[in-house]
Parts: sequence; structure tokens; C-alpha cells
Amino acid sequence: MKTTEIEKQPILQVSGLKQHFVLKKEVIFQSKQVVKAVDGISFDLFPGETLSIVGESGCGKSTTGRSILRLDEPTEGNVLFKGQSLTKMNKRELRNIRGDIQVIFQDPYASLNPRRTIRQMLEEAMAIQKVLPPNQRESRMLELMKHVGLRPEYLERYPHEFSGGQRQRIGIARALAVNPKIIICDEAVSALDVSIQAQILNLLKKLQKDFDLTFLFISHDLSVVRHISDRVMVMYLGKIVELSDTASLFKNPLHPYTKALLSAIPVTDQTQRKERIILKGDVPSPINPPAGCRFHTRCPFATDLCQSEEPILRESQNQHFVACHYAENLSS
Amino acid sequence: MKNEVVLEVKNLKTHFISKKGIAKAVDGIDFVLRRGETLGIVGESGCGKSMTSLSILRLIPSPPGKIVDGEILLNGKDLVKMSNEELRKIRGNQISMIFQEPMTSLNPVIPVGEQIAEALRLHQGLSKRQAWDKSVEMIGLVGIPSPEKRAKQEPFQLSGGMRQRIMIAMALACTPEVLIADEPTTALDVTIQAQILEIMKDLQKKIGMGIIFITHDLGVVAEMCDQVGVMYAGQIVEHQNSATLFRNPLHPYTQGLIGSLPKLYENQEELQIIEGTVPSPYDYPDGCRFAERCPFAQKMCIEKQPELIQYDEDMKVRCWKYTAQWQEESSSREMVTQ
Repeated sequence: MKTTEIEKQPILQVSGLKQHFVLKKEVIFQSKQVVKAVDGISFDLFPGETLSIVGESGCGKSTTGRSILRLDEPTEGNVLFKGQSLTKMNKRELRNIRGDIQVIFQDPYASLNPRRTIRQMLEEAMAIQKVLPPNQRESRMLELMKHVGLRPEYLERYPHEFSGGQRQRIGIARALAVNPKIIICDEAVSALDVSIQAQILNLLKKLQKDFDLTFLFISHDLSVVRHISDRVMVMYLGKIVELSDTASLFKNPLHPYTKALLSAIPVTDQTQRKERIILKGDVPSPINPPAGCRFHTRCPFATDLCQSEEPILRESQNQHFVACHYAENLSS
Repeated sequence: MKNEVVLEVKNLKTHFISKKGIAKAVDGIDFVLRRGETLGIVGESGCGKSMTSLSILRLIPSPPGKIVDGEILLNGKDLVKMSNEELRKIRGNQISMIFQEPMTSLNPVIPVGEQIAEALRLHQGLSKRQAWDKSVEMIGLVGIPSPEKRAKQEPFQLSGGMRQRIMIAMALACTPEVLIADEPTTALDVTIQAQILEIMKDLQKKIGMGIIFITHDLGVVAEMCDQVGVMYAGQIVEHQNSATLFRNPLHPYTQGLIGSLPKLYENQEELQIIEGTVPSPYDYPDGCRFAERCPFAQKMCIEKQPELIQYDEDMKVRCWKYTAQWQEESSSREMVTQ
């Protein structure tokens, strides 16, 4: 089923996206310092799929989500939504398009206005995007509350009256209010307890089916990613190191970083435990990322070639992309 | 020496008294920690796991918090009855603690080496020079490269993983008998978490301290702990060896918790969920605190609170399902339906 979907036209095409932040000089005559948060990434998002971006802090996964929506103005690159270039749009066009692409953030409390009731928030979202004539909005709101599993009387309440899981449901309802095509979920379940996390994950899956949504799911939690995604993209220091369908990524990871990442996850079932690859040191600073392959400083297999030449993202196996000079030699 | 009990907690109750009423954050906890052993305490937010650890070190803000009942015996001496002066000699010396966010526990303007040395001078009476040397040695021991250089740096110059290593170095500098680790790796990335867990296991073998490991992450528990206490609404609902807990969880809450984890190497269409929410600590129900959310709950569960019973060797559970009364009730229920 999924393969036929992937043959469709992409709904979102990202090409050569770069997001560089220039740091303020601390000392006079200091050379300009640039944080290369996202450094030239390209990928397609297909309608109805869930593509996850995983990686550790500072790898650029959240920045990618933000640059797509131009919440931070990207430095370079192009983003096409159904063929229209988001990067070339003016403010008004961009506002219209944001109805099609919605975001759910990690901390629902920080992204909900504490002085507004849920009704006011949903109404505002629908008014800005002119979703429905005002007289039909009431019934739409009640419907939305039902979809996300909240009682209709909660519409009159304020964010502080809800628990974390309920707040995340409100965030989801608000995103759904404007009939989006794509929802970017930025660590949407990371702050929740496991039993609540399970409820929200089930809800997201159900809503995807009911409303034919496309998810760009940003997370650091690989077991959550494994559960929800069709395809997974692994990022390291602003670059894509591996991109593949979920099953083959987890069964047969090709990049040494992905292998280490997977082996580092503590599992409850000790029979499933893989031999742990402990990476040395920390992630290098994105201000002066290592030359060549950015992972070479921590990679157990690095050679001279890795230090000098940057590997490109290439198709190593069918629809399984990897950026490593030695991917084929390492997979056994 | 290994099986010697270092810490014993008996019927610990920590309540918070405010205008809203009495919040029973910790409500009757019992456990035993042996030398060289790791005890995990797991549970979701608000279950009282962090309050348990703070109570052991008597770090509960008072008022409003108060240890209203129970004993905390360190080598047989009750910490609850100790004066502040006596406690000061124990904290950081015999019992130390690591917190989730190292940046809030480290002094931002003092070099990290000095912060470690301070504890050594205070508790072990070392000279300034000796304390510094020992401090550098500890920083090397937790796997930080070039420790002499790092010791002179301030916390902001170190990465998150390195700061947590400094916390561990500080906690272990005085070779404590008990180490309380409260979510020590929750704020870290998985590859760094793997490094830190490895170091903790390693140092436990060298120093032989008992560890109380508090976390919400069941995967970490499975890897780190010898035995596990599962907490729910201020009480321990299940206590088992970690090896058997994940294969054979007894309490319906533990079963639900394990079921709601997304599995890394299995395909699942839908995740199991636990219906409802945790009851308020101001107003716990009379019966079993989990009854409202429990798929097996019967009349007796709502009426009367179950005790933590010994189900098998090394297996304790707080659930009516495993009692003789339940068997009787269920057979009489069957009679009625027939």
C-alpha cells in the first residue's frame, strides 16, 4: 500500500536547505562565527506518509521544521509545497499557506495563550484562515473536541486547567481546526509520561487516517519514531546521514552513526539487546564542524578518506540512502 | 560484605500541608538497599519517586513538607531523628545525590575542580593541595579527557554530558555508601546516556556503593537495576527483580506501563493505553488507588486498600488479585452467574 503512495507526487519538496546563524562577535577583530544548524539537506515528503527526522540535540532537526515554515528565514535552498515555492512567497501568501502546514510543539503549555479559553483559540485560528463561515464554526469546534477526545464543556476553560496530555490534545485540535494537509510534530510527545504518550500517539495515527494527513515527525526518541513513521531520516550536525523506510532502517542500519544510535537505546527486553557501540566524546560544535565526514571524529571506522572528503547522500540499496564512504563494507 | 544492608526505609510518609489540604506525596514506602546493589524506583510524574529520594536526604522543603511517619535507617541509624549538624556529616559523604539537570546543581562561577575539592576538604579533612589532586583524579575517573585542564574550567565551558560526569565525580569523591541518582540521564542524548550509564556501573564495581536509581524510563531500569520498585500515587505497587519484572509484571499498572511503551523491534498497529488519569494526592480514594483505571477492578478494590503482599520470593505486589479473598470472591461470582 505504502509503495504506491510513495510513487505519488511529493506534497513537499525540500532542496538544498541551509540555515546558518551568524553569532555576535564577542571580541573585536574576531572572525565571523557561523552556526551551520542545517547545512544543505534535500528530501521529499509524500502525501499521507509520516516521515520522521531523528537525531540528537543540535543536529538541526527542529531547525529544519522551522525553516520549512519560515519561522526562521532559511539562508539558502528551496521548499516547494504542491509545486509552489514557499521561500519566494510574500507575507500574505505565506500566511495563507500556513493553514495547510501546521505545527505541534513539544511544550503545549508554552504554545497556548494562558489568557484565552480553548474556544477563543480555536475561533481565532479559524478566523485567520477563514476556514468556515462564522455561523458554522460552533459545530466544527464541538466536532474537533470530539476528535481529539476532549469533553465539549472544556471549550470554556483556560490552558492551566488541563493536564499535559490534555494540553497536547488542545494543540492538536488547534492545528486541525484549519484543515491542514501537513502537520509538523516537533517533539510532540517528548514531554509526556509513557501512558499519556501512548494515548497521543494512538490519537495521531487515527487522525492521520481520518483526515488524510501528512506528518513530518521530529523526535529524538527512536522507539516512538519506529512506531509512527513510514520513513525515517537520521540527521547529524546539520546533514542527513541516512534516509530509508522504517523497517529497513531498524533492521539494517547502514550508517555507523545510526548503528550506534540504535544500539544505545536501553530496552526492557534483554533478549532484544544489541551489542552496544559506545561512541567516544560529544557531538562537535556546529560552529566549526569537522571537515570531511562530520561523524569522523566519533566514528570507530574512520579512515583518512573520511577526514578529507565529505560523503554524499547516495542510494546504497533500494530506496535506502546513506552518506558514508564505507556503508557497503560495514553492513554484514 | 556485598549483601550487607546499608539503607532501610520503613513506612516512610512525606506529606505536604497547605491551604488546599494534605498532599500525601509519599504514603508508606518500604524498601531495603544492599551494598553494591542498584534499586530502581520507577513511576510517572507525580507518583512521589523524587519526593522519596529527597526525603531520604531530608531535603524536603519544610514547611510545607514534613516526614510524618517512618524510619530511614543508614547502617541502623535513623536519619529522621538526626539533627541538622549530624545530617551535614552524612550528606555528600555517606549518601550523595545526582540530579537531572547538572547546570542547576553546579555553582556557575566556581571551577568544577574546586567544587569537587570542597566536599573532600569538608568531609575528609584533606589539605587544599591533596583535595585538588584527588579532585583531578576523580574527573579522570569519570572519563573526561585532560582532567587537569577541565578541573580549572567553569561549568558553562563543559557540555551537558561532561557536566553530568562532574556531578558523578563530585558525588563519588568521598566514596559514599549510598548514591541516589534522580533521573541522572533524562536530559541527555542516548549516545551520551549510554556513556554515563556505563561509567556508573563501572564505578559501582570499584567503590561498591548501593545505588537508588530514580527514573521514568523503563529501558534504563532494565539495564541498570537489580531490583525495581514501581510507584503509583505515593505507594510502591510492585517490587521485583528487574530480570523478572519485564517478563512477568504482576500489578495491572505495571502491565499497562510496559504495554504502553512503543517497542523498538516489533510492529504494533496501536499502543496499549491506561485509561483515565492519576488521582489527586490531596484526595486519594479509600480503596486501591489504581482501581478507577484498572481493567480488573472489582467491588473489593474500590472498598478497601490492598496491602503490599509477598507474592513469591523477591516478588511483592499491592493488588487484591493475588489474595485468597479474591479467589473466594471470584468463585462466588461464578456461582452467581451460573
